[in-house]
Amino acid sequence: MQSAAALLFTTQLTHLAPIDVLILVLYFAIVIFIGFYVKGATNTSEEFFLAGREMSAWIAGLSFVSANLGSLELMGWAGAAYQYGILATHWYWIGAIPAMLFLGIVMMPFYYISKTHSVPGYLQLRFGEGARGLAAASFAFMTILMSGVNMYAMALVMKVILGWNISFSIWVGAITVAIYVMLGGLRSAIINEVLQFVLIWAGAALIPILGLVEAGGWTNLKAQIAANTGSTEFTHMWSTLGHFRDNPMGVHWTGIVFGLGFVVSFGYWTTDFLVVQRVLSANNLRAAKMAPVIGAAFKMAVPFIVIVPGLLALAVLKNPDGSVLHLVGENAVNAAHPYSYNEVLPLMLIRYCGPGLLGLGITALVAGFMSGMAGNVSAFSTVWTYDIYGAFLNKKASDKHYVFMGRLSTVLGMLVSILTAYLVAHAASIMDYVQALFSFFIAPLFGTVVLGMLWKRATKAGGFWGLAAGTTSSIGMWLYTTYGPASALSRIALSADAKPMAETLYRALWSWLICVGVTIVVSYCTTPIPEAQLAGLVYGATPIPDDGSRGLFQKPIFWAIIVITVFFILNLMFF
Amino acid sequence: MAEGTGRGERLSIWFFVGMLTLVYGLVLAPYGAWEWIGNHEAPTVLNNLHPTFWWGSLMLIFGLFYTIKFRPGKV
Repeated sequence: MQSAAALLFTTQLTHLAPIDVLILVLYFAIVIFIGFYVKGATNTSEEFFLAGREMSAWIAGLSFVSANLGSLELMGWAGAAYQYGILATHWYWIGAIPAMLFLGIVMMPFYYISKTHSVPGYLQLRFGEGARGLAAASFAFMTILMSGVNMYAMALVMKVILGWNISFSIWVGAITVAIYVMLGGLRSAIINEVLQFVLIWAGAALIPILGLVEAGGWTNLKAQIAANTGSTEFTHMWSTLGHFRDNPMGVHWTGIVFGLGFVVSFGYWTTDFLVVQRVLSANNLRAAKMAPVIGAAFKMAVPFIVIVPGLLALAVLKNPDGSVLHLVGENAVNAAHPYSYNEVLPLMLIRYCGPGLLGLGITALVAGFMSGMAGNVSAFSTVWTYDIYGAFLNKKASDKHYVFMGRLSTVLGMLVSILTAYLVAHAASIMDYVQALFSFFIAPLFGTVVLGMLWKRATKAGGFWGLAAGTTSSIGMWLYTTYGPASALSRIALSADAKPMAETLYRALWSWLICVGVTIVVSYCTTPIPEAQLAGLVYGATPIPDDGSRGLFQKPIFWAIIVITVFFILNLMFF
Repeated sequence: MAEGTGRGERLSIWFFVGMLTLVYGLVLAPYGAWEWIGNHEAPTVLNNLHPTFWWGSLMLIFGLFYTIKFRPGKV
């Protein structure tokens, strides 16, 4: 996302044929139709905010993984794959799979049986109103800003690829999303996320397929990348992580395993309400446990349509004279190097897809952006209505009033997002700050939630002050590395050879440890919560109900073991 | 029950998935055939493999399967 700003400096890449426009228009038509169609089944707050808790494991699972599979994600990580090689895959595998399985098998029973409506709602049950207020306010604020950033990024990408007017893209995208989320709430958002998942694969899978045909298979691709870059480190996931200076990302395996694989990943996948909300819509405990396992299985396949195109670009993109085409960083785009890393996916799309398929690819990107916005806005309206408005401003309103507030906050949230999008359009650096803001909360929140679920002795004061200390320390470290001396990065990331990516991972690790440490110390200094009050909220104080699995093949743990086994095999294959 | 769209609704979420891919297949496969037969291929890499026709056909089959399997009224 950060280098999307650089796209401003390039020229329009292509244009749409009438058949491409037809494909795009068909998508918009079905999206709006779905909004009107499900409105009739969206009358109560449970239906509006949690899709009536009637989604099957497959729908909740696909929606769970799709909510994270936005276009910024696709384009950004395809660019990262070009820049850093196959190391970018860590964000899809170790940076997602273990955490998703942990959510399904260990944490989901507590979220589900506590009947909470949201993650801040769980914090209220476990740690009281203080922790809920802090988590809800920060989440609502960040989510709505992210929606605006997403909106602006979509407009920018459409301007660069197709030459569309920025305001046109912002308003068309925003109005469409506002209509279908306002009408159908989470149900609408989930249906569209499932559609988007199918569309993304339909629109993007041809690129790696045709690319591998052109390159002559994986082995030849590796050889061509080594020849073009003069290095073999672009196609190894682990063997170059022994030292910060041995890999293009400037990270160490401890940062990947503990910072990314444990803290960042677990923080995002287990406590970010945007994704957890999808699983809470499951129709029973077994479906709620299976949904993240199904999501993890599909998540493992995503590098095929994201990372492989980035790697292929290193091998097959050529200048008209036959020399290797070098993509550059956002600040280095000029007449000699007209394309930046972030344009990898559109460049590869244009390389292989003519009229019709191009429209499908663009529709997939638009669907991804709109789903991202819908995910943010639906999560925002839920947290706003339940955890801010209903908890602090108007506690005794009717269910009908809360549904009205949900619809109203969807529209207002979208308007704030549009405002943010225009703000970002005038100061692109705001995007970096919004992303940094998000990183402040995720790691400490995971510390608070996981201690709350697994440790009976954690007290309300411990939870609140742990969360506050973790968040404050994360902000402090970010200020230190951003505005402090040059040595600040090496202190936080433990090496003079560390690069900014490593800073994010180690900052998350330290802020999580501080959160956990403060929670433990404060908890031991304060009066424990009687065990009777922890029933349904904490491991050891809660009899986990039978999830209804009959036979081995119905058991979520069985499928989780299959997924984690494939995960290990894949990591060994690309070691 | 129509899965995913609400209790009492007739259209399943998978029906929407099938319909969208079916319609896209119906647009892409004939267009790809026209490109192939009439030598109107766009100047893309590997256009000799006729990806629009084959990909469109694949979407058509996928869409047809889901549309029929999850058609309204089928229990």
